[in-house]
Amino acid sequence: MSQDSISREKNTIEQLKAQFPDAIKDAEVERPHRITVKFEKDHLLDIARFMRDQLGFDHVKGVAGVDFPTQKKIEVLYFAGSYSKAEVKDVIVILKTGLPRDNPTIASVVSVWESAHYHERETFEMFGVKFEGHPDLRKLLTLENWEGPPPMLKDIKFPEMGQR
Amino acid sequence: MTTNPPSPITSSNRTPQSSTLDVAVGPQHPGSGHCRILIRVDGDYIVSCDPDIGYVHRGCEKIAEYRNYVSNIPHLERPCIPDAIHMNWGYVLPIEELQGVEVPPRGKYISTIAAEMNRIMSHLYGLAIMQGVFSGHTTIFMWGFGDRDLFMELAEMLTGARMTYSFLAPGGPRRDLPFGFEDRLTKLLDYFEKRLVEYDRMFFRNPTVIARAKGVGVLKREDAMKLGVVGPVLRASGVDYDVRKVEPYGAYSDLDFEIPTFDEGDSYSRFIVRFEEMKQSVGIIRQALKKIPQGPIARKAPLVAPEGEATGRVESSRGEIAYMVMGDNSDKPYRVKIMNGSFRNLIALPFLIRNVHVADMPIIYGSLDYWPVEADR
Repeated sequence: MSQDSISREKNTIEQLKAQFPDAIKDAEVERPHRITVKFEKDHLLDIARFMRDQLGFDHVKGVAGVDFPTQKKIEVLYFAGSYSKAEVKDVIVILKTGLPRDNPTIASVVSVWESAHYHERETFEMFGVKFEGHPDLRKLLTLENWEGPPPMLKDIKFPEMGQR
Repeated sequence: MTTNPPSPITSSNRTPQSSTLDVAVGPQHPGSGHCRILIRVDGDYIVSCDPDIGYVHRGCEKIAEYRNYVSNIPHLERPCIPDAIHMNWGYVLPIEELQGVEVPPRGKYISTIAAEMNRIMSHLYGLAIMQGVFSGHTTIFMWGFGDRDLFMELAEMLTGARMTYSFLAPGGPRRDLPFGFEDRLTKLLDYFEKRLVEYDRMFFRNPTVIARAKGVGVLKREDAMKLGVVGPVLRASGVDYDVRKVEPYGAYSDLDFEIPTFDEGDSYSRFIVRFEEMKQSVGIIRQALKKIPQGPIARKAPLVAPEGEATGRVESSRGEIAYMVMGDNSDKPYRVKIMNGSFRNLIALPFLIRNVHVADMPIIYGSLDYWPVEADR
């Protein structure tokens, strides 16, 4: 990949790093169109607001949880994109942070990115991540009488489907 | 910081008033899969609604962690069978990126042709069921389904299946174009272009359709961007955004086509934006058939993906589908995350289905082309 083709991605990272020197632990351009940013979870709302207001990332494409039982953490990934700013339309910024597995809690971004509403509800249900400040954090997909731990965690196993 | 005005999605008044009545619409199969929408009505008006989805949730992402990369191909296209190629392609792209496999040019063209045929089929399904039946128009139901079947026959000729193709694997498509396929497809496109004119006269200029759909369920440009809706719903609100243009995959960077957009943002423009997209798809297939190069169709891809994660996306008939695939040096993915069009358009349901007549609800629901099975996964 040439230096030119990822100059916009580099530029976005530099702006983020300049604004949040402490909060951003690591940021890299994986390939053209994709940026991965690892951040401190307490600064999520500031970063989200800066990205929306200054950088033009106006919506969230999805919120994903990933369970790492050996490292005792649950990673939460926000996929942010832009409809309104032509220069970064093709870029997906993946905001990534690790939460402790015994009490996964993070601020809700719904006040900044309303598009995260159902994605956060899904991640709450599937991984047990509590999004503080979410206006309507209820179960979404599983049955009303489903009891038990969040189904997407790795320690919920289905031996009848094979080994994992 | 600017404070947001109270949102209808989150601040809908959930305490019942004496004049309102709560009605559960569903769970039934309104034409695209089981789902339930809880509406609160005041007389003939819907005050608010709360989509209660999950009736067809199967845990696709969890099951995908137990299956190897190849057996996940048929598994992960099942959530949206009318749009199987795009569900399939979105899953294959990040695996190819992880493995560092590049599809040969001919393979990319064949995938593009199959994908555009699938887009026409999916939009014909939407036109017939979601727009035709929901607005009480039985003629377009018969016409749309009849013409869709002709495309399905050709899809069977190409892939071996009428609907669930499992056609693309990491490395490229499974089969080359069969003998005589180009001729039959060209003839079908000639026929279909004539039919599109008749569709226009029968459905889109029909006074009853216009009366029922124009000005109903208006989603303004700013709201569409804020809610993060995708695909035809977004483009009907005047946002020019299509993955085929902003981040071209397959053979789309070589082909010349336009992205139809409409400014009104009402149900009618959501109907007609899909109609215009079918016209563009016809043009894309014609160009691809003309330009398709000779050579190999696929490269051998390993069965194992290395450690790391990749996000790939395609423009499906219902909007952008992004897949995040996380590998761990084994033949099974560590995590697959599906970000699909229907789940992202779900947020438009409570936003649009409020302060409208009960009779407008099927029109709005149909104009979103919402596919519950895809949203629930």
